[in-house]
Amino acid sequence: MFAFTRAARFVWSSGCLAVLTGAIPQAAAQPDAQAAFFKSRVEPLLVQRCLECHGADPKGGLDLRSGPTALAGGKDGVVLLPGDPEGSLLYQHVLKDEMPPKKPLPQAEKDALRQWIADGAWFPETSLDLFAATSEKRGGYDWWSLQPLRDVSPPELQAPAPERAGLVSRWQANPIDRFVFAKLQEQRLLPSPETTPRAYIRRVSYDVTGLPPTPEEVTEFEAACAAETGATDTIGDRACEVLIDRLLASPHFGERWGRHWLDVVRFGESTGYEVNHIIDNLWPYRDYVIQSFNEDKPYDRFVREQLAADSLDPGNPETEIGLAFLVCGPYDIVGNLDPAQAAQIRANGVDEYIRAATESFLGLTVGCARCHDHKFDAISQRDYYQFYATFAGVYNDDREVATGAQRQARDAQIKPLREARDALAAQLGELEAAVLARAQGKAAEYDARWPRPPVDRRGTTEEFAPVRARFLRFISEGRDNDPNGASGYRLDEFEVWTADETPRNVAAAVNGGKASGASSKPGDFSAAYTADLTIDGKFDARWLAGSRELTLEFAQEENIQRVVFSSDRTAAVSVDSPEAPFPCEYRIEISQDGDAWLQVADSYDRQPLNEAHRNKRYKDWEFRTEEQARLLALSAQWAEADSKLNQIPPLPVMRVGRLEQPTEVSRIFGGGDPQRPLEEIAPASMKTLERAAGSYTLAPDAPEKERRLALANWITAPENPLPARVMVNRIWHYHFGTGIVSTPSDFGFMGDRPSHPELLDWLARELQHPTEAAPDQAWRMKRIHKLILMSQTYRQSSAYRADAAAVDGDARLLWRFPPRRLSGEELRDTMLAVAGKLDTTMGGPGYRLYNYLRDNVSTYVPLEVHPPETYRRAVYHENVRASRVDVLTDFDSPDCAMAAPRRANTTSPLQALTLMNHTFTIDMAEQLAARVAAETGGVSVQEAVRRACALAFSREPAPAELDASVDFIKAEGLAAYCRALLNTNELIYVD
Amino acid sequence: MYPNEAAAHALQRQLISRRGFLNDVFTGLAGIGLTNLLAADLLGATAHASELSPARQLSHFAPRARRVIQIFCPGAASHMDLWEYKPDLEKFDGTPMPGEENMMSFQGKNGNLMKSPWAFAPAGQCGKPISTILPYLSKHVDDMAFVHSMTSKTNTHGPGCVFMNTGHVTEGFPSAGAWFSFAMGRENDNLPTYVSIPDMRGEPPNGKANWSNGFLPAQHQAIVLANHQAIRNLEIPPGVSPEQDRATRDFAAQLNARHAEDHPGNTELQARMAAYELAARMQLSAPEVTDLAKEPASIHALYGTADANPLKASYANNCLLARRLLERGVRYVNLYCGSRASGVDGLLNWDAHKTLKNDYERHCPIFDQPTAALLTDLKQRGMLDETLVLWTTEFGRMPTHQAGTTGRDHNPDGFTCWMMGAGVKGGTSFGATDPLGRRAELNPVTVWDYYATVLHLLGFNHEKLNFYYNGLDRRLTDVHGFVIKDIVA
Repeated sequence: MFAFTRAARFVWSSGCLAVLTGAIPQAAAQPDAQAAFFKSRVEPLLVQRCLECHGADPKGGLDLRSGPTALAGGKDGVVLLPGDPEGSLLYQHVLKDEMPPKKPLPQAEKDALRQWIADGAWFPETSLDLFAATSEKRGGYDWWSLQPLRDVSPPELQAPAPERAGLVSRWQANPIDRFVFAKLQEQRLLPSPETTPRAYIRRVSYDVTGLPPTPEEVTEFEAACAAETGATDTIGDRACEVLIDRLLASPHFGERWGRHWLDVVRFGESTGYEVNHIIDNLWPYRDYVIQSFNEDKPYDRFVREQLAADSLDPGNPETEIGLAFLVCGPYDIVGNLDPAQAAQIRANGVDEYIRAATESFLGLTVGCARCHDHKFDAISQRDYYQFYATFAGVYNDDREVATGAQRQARDAQIKPLREARDALAAQLGELEAAVLARAQGKAAEYDARWPRPPVDRRGTTEEFAPVRARFLRFISEGRDNDPNGASGYRLDEFEVWTADETPRNVAAAVNGGKASGASSKPGDFSAAYTADLTIDGKFDARWLAGSRELTLEFAQEENIQRVVFSSDRTAAVSVDSPEAPFPCEYRIEISQDGDAWLQVADSYDRQPLNEAHRNKRYKDWEFRTEEQARLLALSAQWAEADSKLNQIPPLPVMRVGRLEQPTEVSRIFGGGDPQRPLEEIAPASMKTLERAAGSYTLAPDAPEKERRLALANWITAPENPLPARVMVNRIWHYHFGTGIVSTPSDFGFMGDRPSHPELLDWLARELQHPTEAAPDQAWRMKRIHKLILMSQTYRQSSAYRADAAAVDGDARLLWRFPPRRLSGEELRDTMLAVAGKLDTTMGGPGYRLYNYLRDNVSTYVPLEVHPPETYRRAVYHENVRASRVDVLTDFDSPDCAMAAPRRANTTSPLQALTLMNHTFTIDMAEQLAARVAAETGGVSVQEAVRRACALAFSREPAPAELDASVDFIKAEGLAAYCRALLNTNELIYVD
Repeated sequence: MYPNEAAAHALQRQLISRRGFLNDVFTGLAGIGLTNLLAADLLGATAHASELSPARQLSHFAPRARRVIQIFCPGAASHMDLWEYKPDLEKFDGTPMPGEENMMSFQGKNGNLMKSPWAFAPAGQCGKPISTILPYLSKHVDDMAFVHSMTSKTNTHGPGCVFMNTGHVTEGFPSAGAWFSFAMGRENDNLPTYVSIPDMRGEPPNGKANWSNGFLPAQHQAIVLANHQAIRNLEIPPGVSPEQDRATRDFAAQLNARHAEDHPGNTELQARMAAYELAARMQLSAPEVTDLAKEPASIHALYGTADANPLKASYANNCLLARRLLERGVRYVNLYCGSRASGVDGLLNWDAHKTLKNDYERHCPIFDQPTAALLTDLKQRGMLDETLVLWTTEFGRMPTHQAGTTGRDHNPDGFTCWMMGAGVKGGTSFGATDPLGRRAELNPVTVWDYYATVLHLLGFNHEKLNFYYNGLDRRLTDVHGFVIKDIVA
């Protein structure tokens, strides 16, 4: 059975996997000979067998990376006695198979070790590097994906037998086919025959645009193929090319392939974590991605924009939006006053940028080197913190994006308007100040009007002459923390006491009282803050007033004379805490019938609570008529001037990250803990890729902007082999369901090995330096798509072949085109498209398939009915984290808490429940039925079935199928038939 | 990963890679339970089933527990006010905390030490002191194994809850229930494997991330179901009669059968047809499970389902629902008592920042009787022999009061969780915080240790239950974890 095994590892450079065979040479006493012996026999052994434990974080204190440390020994003392192997603890352990633990050395290696110690245990000047060579446990600098792109030529094909000459000549034209054919031949496999034009157009339409072909497009393509080839079931090359050119030029291409990229970069439109608030201004990045794919932006440019747009095209919103790449992941916005925890949260944020950038562009899991060197790849903790220094000034936030000229123009526009407005404000201020001063001169007179003490949020009492009442109404006219705000206060309790000898609190719920008043409602548990809290007899939870009034109704008419109310009766918080704002100016009214009201108390004979309230009263009471008129006139003028000012549009503020110059030099965090800062680190490239891609190191305090620009330039330098390899692999992955490397964001040791390594490099070079096309085609991806879509490999039938499946079960070698299920987005778009309801409007703010409930934290409640304004393509859905969206979530659309470079493909009963029962299916079934009836004139059931099959399956119904369908429609109706179609496998699988 | 496991591991990876396409289908169905069906009908040979599902139904050693119920009190339920008696806190009440007089914690400044508002009284045969505010639960201490030295990595509720459920503070990782579903597959034909029962007051902090499948196939996420919330899309839509619904399903099945005939070798097609059949069976069986009216009056009285406090009645009904789910073979149930953060700390969950006494006098009566009734009921039915009961919260609270309040701030450095039931040594207390309750002092334990123990009781070596994702073989216990042998019977 064919399989890629872990043992069959690719090491492309002149590797250090020395195979130790042959006789031990005689004593190598000369220094040169010692060095040579060490290099060839001892270093590989030490690196691969010992340094994992006895290296940077040495077990038992023994560090074997250099002569001095090795000779110093560990906690058990000296282990190496140069010239005396038998006396050396190290050799003794090795000889007794105690070291390496559970993995005894082969005799040849033991002998080499003995020889080396006997010759004096020579060490080179420079320390050994654990990453120098790939071992059984980890990848080294010689790991396949880190090597330069190879200049490979497609193999020349040989026909396995004369009768296959035609096949071979067909597979000879496209270089991709030559690589694939040769690999199949190695396993004695042959490719499958070409698929039908009908299956091809369905396959390629979904693949390129994410939408099914219309029946007319199918017919047209079949006709074009027939005209070109003279046969009914053969794809015409010319027709194929016309079709592909049309699809790649369609704006739907960017919608489909942009969505793939959004998966890779963990794009989500809410903060995630506990708060998970929606982010309503991230959608421009989604549009930028779609637009970039549609205009075939060179990939190197695309990468550079996403890391350093502010250096490439500063102030241009259309480019700068690329930087949203950095800040479209989840982040924690809960305020944390514990400084250690706050530092950890910030470190988590930077870690998120590092993972996104390295996995997306380099296919390396650099994040694994946060606490210690990577356990499986040649990525050191130092490499990680060099990235940390690179992103240390990035924050998840909004930023104004504009060019200097735009800023100047706006400032010039605003200046006179602002001056006019400020002049009016000054006049208003003078008027008020004059009135206030006059009132303050009469302070004693005013004070006499308010003899009573001020209110107290911990309990305020109002007494009045006993009065009969069934209702009592409390009307706030000012909040203690805002004289001009009457609503938004809180009350933990409101008591109404009778005039009896033993007063009763008749407002209390236990005594039959009822409370009503608007609350600010937090959604899924609206009972949390209702007015009932004011009469529950407890002083803990508070009512959050949503308007000025609280109305209390008693069980029956009562003789009342006193009320007591508070927002913090138990003094649980400080007197100025924003958790218990209190209404300090108010009126209290009573009523017998709830209709006619009588005021019984107010706050205006109390002393004002503070200076702000005192001044408010002065102003309310002291203004004379002529002053009042002037005040009104000035206010109106001010409002007009202010409105003019506000009509000047603001500069665009976008979610592209706040960028700040770091105030401190970055340091390695020991064990990933910000409380353990170690040595200083400068922004720099990864040593991992130094051999292939070169290196740079900036000053530790380099400008923030330059750090990202240097990284962007290094990543996209032509010598760097990874971005091109990783991106062509992603393209392959989405076309064939599995990449040449099946782990698209992990080209490291734990990732998969390439099934077609030569093809991968050929494609990568083709992306970088197209061999045939004009130079302006460098890094443009539509060429690669076309090459793949035109290939015989892609055109194969998807039919199962038991013989081939026995050798290569999942068709990794592509002996057939692997059939696939539609993605969640494709499925929803398809249901809308076949029902004739798809709204193809592109771009702009997204729509929501949930109700968004926001309190301290957010809750997303899926919609029961999807209204027509949600009939746009799924890529325009506002995708928030930790939400469940019908159809999309069921069919594996990712949550994007983390990147989803490869989606799951699951089959579950929840999918069946949603597709059978959600009203969206019912709505689409009815729309499809209506469409089919309308388009066929509504007279013939047969015609309706034909049309429905053409729309849903791109084909004619078979005779027996047609009969069964007609019978079913006669019994259950056309809409039920359409509901069944939307639940078929044929709709959801692409051959 | 240990070096000697590399080979076995490589084999597992290779098998998964070779059959990746089919494997996703398989794991998808295993989650809701079609292992036998797949083995028999789709793969044609049982040998394939074990090849495809290295961990499926195959524990590493004999399991003590076959089912889990995890009761979660979000908001950080205070260890020193409920479970861990601290006499020194009474003694030094009102004095500054030595060495941490100026401590800044989550919400800022702290005041002096504050004793618990409630006395502790010895309970059970073992005589362990438990807060008198939990009179019902204190009767069960002889079956409980307390871990008093829990620690968390974070002092924030959302990441804390996610950490306590998934072993990671960031979102995107599978919860313990999802891991167990992945590892064991289904135990019944008609119900989901993993169910989460949120509180009627709303979802816990970080919501669905607490029962997410993370990078495991989607089928291992919990299905949300509660007495107040039906399984989503379970009902036949309005306007469709049951007869028409059945006829439509049959017709679609007919079309699918025809299509499958034309597409031999694609097992995913059969799997999808089987999923429709299972969905239909779920539609029949789920209403039976949720029909609590079938329970006798004595059981309703035991749980307190008719309590005048609607929050208590709701939680009691959810406790009863949890038992019925476990009884019918649901493998893992998350049961929440409390919800997310609100505008008023401690109102909707156990986050008693300002008014500890008032808050817990509201929460404990909701929590105490129904939870105790669930334990009693499981025990009297003999279900504790195979059921592991976990009680968890995301972290603890400070021994001091918050400046200017009578509540306590977040404390990730020490808190209590407990477990009981299958394989657990009852009446034991493992570890302890210092005499004031500030930090885990005796035998500190991590969330990973707690789950290493849970997985041990379920028959798994926590280091071997893993899944490759983005560069690493991921585990519930990350790269940590030791089994707490002292609480294993």
